[in-house]
Amino acid sequence: MAPIYIMALITIAASTLLWGGLLYALSGQQRRYLWLLLPGLPLSAAVNLLIKRPVATLVGNWAHIPVGLGLAGTPVWFLVFLFLLAPVFEEAIKITPLLLPPVRRLLTDRAGALWTGLGLGVSFGLGEAAYLAYGVAQSPAYLGLPWYAFTGYLSERLVVCFVHGVMTAVVVTGLYRGRVHILWGYLGGVALHALANAGAMLYQLGWLSLALTQMSLLVTLIVDVFVLEALRRRARQEASPATATEVVYFEREEDEQEAVSSEQGAVTSEQEAVSRKEEQ
Amino acid sequence: MNPLIFKPRPSWGWVWLLGLALLILALAVWPLAVAGNALPWWGWALNLGVGLLIGLPGLALMAWFPTLHYELDATTLTLRYGPVLTYRIPLAQIRSIRRRDLAISLWSSLRLPGLALFSVPYADVGTVKMCATAAARGILLLETIAGEKYGLTPADEAGLVAALQERMGESTSQRSNESANQ
Repeated sequence: MAPIYIMALITIAASTLLWGGLLYALSGQQRRYLWLLLPGLPLSAAVNLLIKRPVATLVGNWAHIPVGLGLAGTPVWFLVFLFLLAPVFEEAIKITPLLLPPVRRLLTDRAGALWTGLGLGVSFGLGEAAYLAYGVAQSPAYLGLPWYAFTGYLSERLVVCFVHGVMTAVVVTGLYRGRVHILWGYLGGVALHALANAGAMLYQLGWLSLALTQMSLLVTLIVDVFVLEALRRRARQEASPATATEVVYFEREEDEQEAVSSEQGAVTSEQEAVSRKEEQ
Repeated sequence: MNPLIFKPRPSWGWVWLLGLALLILALAVWPLAVAGNALPWWGWALNLGVGLLIGLPGLALMAWFPTLHYELDATTLTLRYGPVLTYRIPLAQIRSIRRRDLAISLWSSLRLPGLALFSVPYADVGTVKMCATAAARGILLLETIAGEKYGLTPADEAGLVAALQERMGESTSQRSNESANQ
């Protein structure tokens, strides 16, 4: 067995616990969203093998761009095209489980759309971690390394699983809102995806150092945390306040509060008067 | 009058603290052990800094977990966690006492499953000064007239609320008597 598979197992288990736990906690401990961690698992392999690769080959052949030309000889438009392949196609395929009625039924409100999107995106990220591990395992250069040498894979994939979740949450929220929001939601997801991939792309072009590339992932993570918070806040504003269960044991009357406040004011004035007298 | 002591609800919060502290220490030490000589000086400094600044305080907080308790005397409710956290709430300042579930947000200071300490931002009620063995469920929320909120999780919730109400009544009547005498 290739050593990276051990790290892949650790990564997928840790990501499932961490992001599944976050989904469970943020959604108000609703278990019904947890099974969404399953349907996206095969989608990364599917989109890479069945869509991205054939489309890239087709367009390359059409434009007479030979394979293995290297960055220097490849036209800029084709590089941009390759860069956009992942955001455009992956954001579309990540929401295909919504074709299943049980998944679609979870879109009861804006919050439901948010947690459904987060679950589907994390699921895609978990599948992508497995697919990438498979790709690395095919390279003889990595076979001699011990499993614990792949900590970069672990940390990157942990973050990327969450980032995939947020991107899909943006897309599914737009889809739920309907009309023009469908387009904006999709473009928002694509833009976030492009932002996440930009560091790696610039590194491959030789425009960014490895340290800055890793920093760009951190920036992406921070941006996505803000985006998720904004989506969650809007979803809460739309939710019915009657859903919160509360037991009120004690509540002071307003006039009693005013009495306490004025009493404090009186004490303060008295203290000030005493201080002034002492000063005199 | 001796203060009444109330213990918190039991929880596994200390296990999370221990796990998190050990994980951070391991992540800090592991690269040093694997690639120590290849790391630049700032790599050593960063790893050891993060390990010591987060891992060790985490272990210390875990050790103080059994000290979490609430003290109620004639005029004040005090929430304590080791030597690092003491919140004093004058009974006369309490505006409301309610039990509710809080909605967590992604922002957090120290909030883990089974433990919430210090000022923690929540999505629905804003920032709450927590000294509790739960992150969000079944929190006894005390709000003061000044608008500050405190979150606690007493094991004997009914007992604490009854004692609080009794003493708050005494404190109110005492205040009324003082006003009348003036």
